[in-house]
Amino acid sequence: MSKITVPIGPQHPLLKEPLSFLVSLEGEKVTGSVLRLGYVHRGIEKLAEQRTYIQNIYLIERICGICSHIHSTTYCQSVEALLKLEVPKRGLYIRMLLCELERIHSHLLWLGVLAKNIGLNTLFMYAWRDREIVLNIMEEISGGRVSHSVNVIGGVQVNLNESHLSLLQQNLQELNKRVKEILRSIENDRSFQARTQKIGYLSLEDIKRYCVVGPVARASGLDIDIRRDAPYAAYDELNFEVPVMTEGDVWARSILRIHETLQAIRLCVQIINNLPDGPVSITAPRRVPAGEVASRAEAPRGEVFYYVRSDGSQNPARLKIRTPTLTTLITLPGQLKNMQLADVSTIIAGVDLCIACGDR
Amino acid sequence: MNLFNIFLRTFIFPGFLFMLILALFLHWLDRKLIARFQGRVGPPWYQPLADLLKLFAKEDILPSGTNQYFAALLPLISFASVLTASFYLPVAIQSVPSFQGDFIVLMFLLSMPSLMYFLAGWVTQGVYSIIGGNRSLLQYFSYEVLFLLAMSGTAIASGSWALSDIRLTQIKETPYIFPQIIGFLLSLAGLIGKLKREPFDIPKAKSEVIAGALTEFSGKKLALWYITIQLQAVVGLSFLIHCFFSGLWQMNTISGFFIFLLLLVILQCVLSAISAIYTRLRIDQLIHLNWHIFIPLTLLHNIYILLK
Repeated sequence: MSKITVPIGPQHPLLKEPLSFLVSLEGEKVTGSVLRLGYVHRGIEKLAEQRTYIQNIYLIERICGICSHIHSTTYCQSVEALLKLEVPKRGLYIRMLLCELERIHSHLLWLGVLAKNIGLNTLFMYAWRDREIVLNIMEEISGGRVSHSVNVIGGVQVNLNESHLSLLQQNLQELNKRVKEILRSIENDRSFQARTQKIGYLSLEDIKRYCVVGPVARASGLDIDIRRDAPYAAYDELNFEVPVMTEGDVWARSILRIHETLQAIRLCVQIINNLPDGPVSITAPRRVPAGEVASRAEAPRGEVFYYVRSDGSQNPARLKIRTPTLTTLITLPGQLKNMQLADVSTIIAGVDLCIACGDR
Repeated sequence: MNLFNIFLRTFIFPGFLFMLILALFLHWLDRKLIARFQGRVGPPWYQPLADLLKLFAKEDILPSGTNQYFAALLPLISFASVLTASFYLPVAIQSVPSFQGDFIVLMFLLSMPSLMYFLAGWVTQGVYSIIGGNRSLLQYFSYEVLFLLAMSGTAIASGSWALSDIRLTQIKETPYIFPQIIGFLLSLAGLIGKLKREPFDIPKAKSEVIAGALTEFSGKKLALWYITIQLQAVVGLSFLIHCFFSGLWQMNTISGFFIFLLLLVILQCVLSAISAIYTRLRIDQLIHLNWHIFIPLTLLHNIYILLK
């Protein structure tokens, strides 16, 4: 069999963001792959050092177009910890609401991308149609579909009124029905199973060795979730389950993410039912006392880690961001080995990459 | 037949122009139906024509090092063979000359585009083109056998390789769709492979090999490829209708013409529904499905027809 090297990326229909894979093929079998990163590196960590803490909220939100809110939440959390601010409960609840809406939006988007990559355009259209519900809710609440600018240091800058709550109630019910319908159709679809089962397998040891987090880790049997293990915001007041599966393939990741979407809808309903009264934010001083702090949150793709060091001025002295995509990226060459070319798209879609997060 | 008549039959009806309109119509129907299945609006009726005209106006470039004449010849040959195939078929219920063995000739002419498609991949020399071409050849060896075997059930039952005899036996007895429903479904599966439609669109799987063998084509040549594939769908479906549904109409009649169109539309709906429902298979899954399930089933079916 002749050997061919196929470039996947930086521009390829399979990838929505620039990333480069050089896949060596022997016939249809993948013998090796070389990963290249950095096409969307914007130097955000350095930029953050030149801006004030408040300006940074909007900069940080631009790290990613899908999980923008979780980034600013984690950042605000760390600055609030430095300032020793007590954020009002209502503010925390609205933050959590947007986090969960964002999780639904991210998972449905991901499901669409996977479906598109394995040639199931119908599911792609359905998933993205249902995602519009969440986007509309978020637009109604914050004015933005993907970048919300909801967070400020000390709380949030939007408030929910009665019409928001009734809109949320209605739409979340409808969404719950539709996501269950998608889950049912996937579980019964033989051709979908044939394309995703036993593809991109990661064992529990691999997961621990590569420090993989999020749904990919949970699909391989690693039971971690920052929302439950180290509750931030007010997650300890809410009641939810963390789905875990043991198969470790793309199939498990798909089913797991849909179950997570259902849990996120459940969380949203709990949040709007138990929404406390009171202010949504408190005023924060502009200068942050010297010190350092680390903050963690559960993004749709797993744990986000922020480290902020302050020297007492208006600008942070150092901001370090660790996103979940970076760890999953490292597992890709191992997952691709000895797979078929047709499975490359499934595997790359299956781990849910967010290159913009990874490169920053 | 005078010269004007020949001209009319070759270029207007049921020749080139009619076939082209039919092909564009079916293509639009396909896109519209799939869009509706997927909860989208779908294109307006003139979209396929507009796409085609736009492509014809586009710049025609190929990678350097490509044999330009050969690359231009490939879509022309496939286009010509599909169009020639349409002259042997009573498309739109117009009687055509028939001879012993035209069934096989039709099979051959219909398989020409697949071979040209493979060569197109090699000629244009892109990585994706070569993989797409290879895949189309791999696929060729599975669906082509299936298509030929499943279709030949009708020839076995009528005891002749002439299309006219296949039709006449059906008029005398019963349309083969009733006794040979399994053969019909298997032929439809073969046709989906031939047309490279989902779920057998492996050679042009977008997320894997961009556009397969046609990745490097552009402008007029690409437009010609598209027309060929759309025409192939019409000719293939007409072939199926002719072999399995003859006897439902009289030749050269208006009612027959409309029954033919109706069947064409119904079959297109079936193809579109299949496209919308199934996930694209992997090449090994396709070969497994074909050689382990479909082809043994076809052989059993043909043996059953022989013994009957």
